[in-house]
Amino acid sequence: MMLANYSARMTISGMILAAIVALAQPAAAESVLTRGMGSTIGTLDPQINFLAYEGFILDDIYEGLVSPDPAGEPVPGAAETWDISDDGLTYTFHLRDGLKWSNGDPLVAQDFVNGVIRTLDPATASDKGYIFTSTISVVGAAAFNGGESTDPASVGVSAPDDKTVVIQLEKPAPYALYILNSFYFPPLHKPSFEAFGGDFIKPENIVTNGAYHLIENVPQSHVTLVKSPTYWGADSVKIDKVIYQITEDDNTAVKLFKAGEQDITYDIPSDQIEALTAEFGDQVHVTSSTETNYLSFNITKPPFDDIRVRQALAMALDRDAIINKVVKGGYVLNCGYVIPVPNYPQPQQADCAMPKDERVAKAQELYAEAGFGPDNVLALSIESSNNDAYKKIAETAAVMWKQTLGVEAKVNAQDRDSWLAAFNDGNWQVFNDNLVGDFAGPETFLAYMDPRAEAGYGWQSPEYEAAYDKAMSTEDQAERYKLLAEAERALLDTYLVIPLSSSPSRALVNSRVSGWVDNPAGWHSTKYMSVQ
Amino acid sequence: MFQYVVRRTLGSIPTLFVLAAITFFMMRVAPGDPFSGNRRLTPEVLANLRRAFNLDLPLWEQFWRYIWGVLHFDFGPSIKNRDYSVSELIGIGFPTSLEVGMWAMLVAAIIGIALGIAGALRRNTSVDYSVGAIAMVGLAIPIFVIGPVAQSYFGLHLRWLPISGWGDSWTYRILPVLTLALPNIAYISRLMRGSMIEIMRTNYVRTARAKGLGERRTILRHALKGALLPVVAYLGPATAITITGSIVVEQIFSIPGIGRYFVDAAINRDYPLVMGVTLFYGSIVIFANLLTDIVRGLLDPKVSYE
Repeated sequence: MMLANYSARMTISGMILAAIVALAQPAAAESVLTRGMGSTIGTLDPQINFLAYEGFILDDIYEGLVSPDPAGEPVPGAAETWDISDDGLTYTFHLRDGLKWSNGDPLVAQDFVNGVIRTLDPATASDKGYIFTSTISVVGAAAFNGGESTDPASVGVSAPDDKTVVIQLEKPAPYALYILNSFYFPPLHKPSFEAFGGDFIKPENIVTNGAYHLIENVPQSHVTLVKSPTYWGADSVKIDKVIYQITEDDNTAVKLFKAGEQDITYDIPSDQIEALTAEFGDQVHVTSSTETNYLSFNITKPPFDDIRVRQALAMALDRDAIINKVVKGGYVLNCGYVIPVPNYPQPQQADCAMPKDERVAKAQELYAEAGFGPDNVLALSIESSNNDAYKKIAETAAVMWKQTLGVEAKVNAQDRDSWLAAFNDGNWQVFNDNLVGDFAGPETFLAYMDPRAEAGYGWQSPEYEAAYDKAMSTEDQAERYKLLAEAERALLDTYLVIPLSSSPSRALVNSRVSGWVDNPAGWHSTKYMSVQ
Repeated sequence: MFQYVVRRTLGSIPTLFVLAAITFFMMRVAPGDPFSGNRRLTPEVLANLRRAFNLDLPLWEQFWRYIWGVLHFDFGPSIKNRDYSVSELIGIGFPTSLEVGMWAMLVAAIIGIALGIAGALRRNTSVDYSVGAIAMVGLAIPIFVIGPVAQSYFGLHLRWLPISGWGDSWTYRILPVLTLALPNIAYISRLMRGSMIEIMRTNYVRTARAKGLGERRTILRHALKGALLPVVAYLGPATAITITGSIVVEQIFSIPGIGRYFVDAAINRDYPLVMGVTLFYGSIVIFANLLTDIVRGLLDPKVSYE
């Protein structure tokens, strides 16, 4: 019965297929890729959107001056070549010939300038303004963004002719090419923006310059993109249509993947990694992301101003056990502040490699030296977000401190906004901390911890500043990384932070998809992929 | 009755105003604001963002501006979903939540009432025990377990129904509707059984029987009406909750409704969206209660509209 039914169905579907083939010839079958999206799309406005998952879509429909390659390294995008001045302050980009918007309009250098100006315009109220005022300090950007200047010409991004974009920086930013991509540096199609205002990104109005074009955006449901014939590299784009399915529940996404209805999932539930690996082998992708996790001490508050206390607490932790036995889920143990970056000679906090007995003995010794013991128990509280992995980290650390030192640690798990508000209040003691880098390089992490950046840690280190400044004026990457590692060493040696891990980025990728390359910044442009 | 409806509707205005005021000031007590999530934002960027959403104004002024907007049917922009206004988000999502919720309540009411009557009339028989068992299962197993299990079995294993998503086909409706209906079936059947048993013992039912009325007519004409009263009282508020979307069911089945906004908006400190969904929900509850009272009046001669 089963068999008969099956073959009957085969015959019918075979007939339908034959009919379709006959009708559709000679056109080849359309290739469609379905990708999961962890949450609904808040905004597709290229100058405003700030969420990584929305960035996937923006990366498909817009292209910056440079474009990340499958591994996330910058390669020519809308710009074919560029020159960087010897002082590292002026970047001159030369656009490709014959660039077009999706409606056929020519794409000119001024469109990129307009994009930056709109991002910085106070009226736009874009989160991304800080990229140009702080991550790379574009001349005049801070004044324009702060409203002190209203003249767009005062911003150091200009278009001397239709094919040249010139960017002037206040100080060298040798990592600038990692920033000038579709996520931070998309062009603006001014005529449609002027005609429709904020609605210029609605499917019926949108004009794009990327490998794909947006045709449908249903909130909470899906976003559909089709291959753009006007894209300069359209010949090498293999997938005709991309459907981003919004699947907020990761378990549902796994089921869709198993049923073959979603080719690439947005995430993998951490408790299913092992089972899925057993079932799907190399279709399971788990790699480091640009998020680093660490515990911070408030060194402006006693007793955390005493390095012995900080060291004792760091040494009392079995970081390997916290990350590999408790948290798991693809989190990678990391004893340095910066995430693991290729070619970066990452320093490690000294106690991380110590044998356990020695580490514990040293911790107890330092704890006693700092004046604490059974008669004078250290009580502290850890501010943590209520995200699962974070809660596990904080709770395990509290238990380890209790067992090794007798410390009474209380965990305050709260929602994300309350947690960050606690940090900004400055009344915290130990903060279960994290930082997401703007790109996958040490510069973005160390810029944040620069004592002069006043991120709220209240620490000082002339050594760090000297090494960091020297690095920023060094164009050669190997040399620069060495200097940055010196700065990081200074940070680790003060025990202001206890680095723990880097967060994973996880995805199930169907074996019929090729062109997916794991990379920490999470760049996965559909234009490099193909399906069988 | 028309007068009654008008009076009740007018009476709901102060209720909604108080609801708006309490929500508005209470949500501001929660630490953080919509923009505290990104730690790298410079003071200029933060100032621009706060200004764009009027968060730089004194709280009282923000409140009055909000109320003024509401009076003009402007519920403001969503801060986290910047491509949409609050009205658009609710307008796009509500029909879907309403559809799932209405079907779920309809299924739950029909099955629940039928099961309840069956249990009451066949008391302490295998029928009654089966109904009791169904009710126990429906109440004890949470929908975040039922949903994924149903999804795995009917969607992934048997391939009878879509795993998730929302399309024109009715097949997309079955699993979410049943998942959402199950706990309600359970509750309604218990409620119906209890009140039916009670009603069957009342004097007027005994009188009907004494007068020689058949069992069928006694139940349908006389007992049922009275027995439905507690169920109707439950259905009003329960329908209000169900049609405004269940975050669990909507997430599991990827349904584009409004259920998630109730939680997401609060977590993200999306103030206008919190206000919008709260007022919307408040209005639905008021409307559902009004409907309930009208239906109760039709069922129970003791209730008057005065």
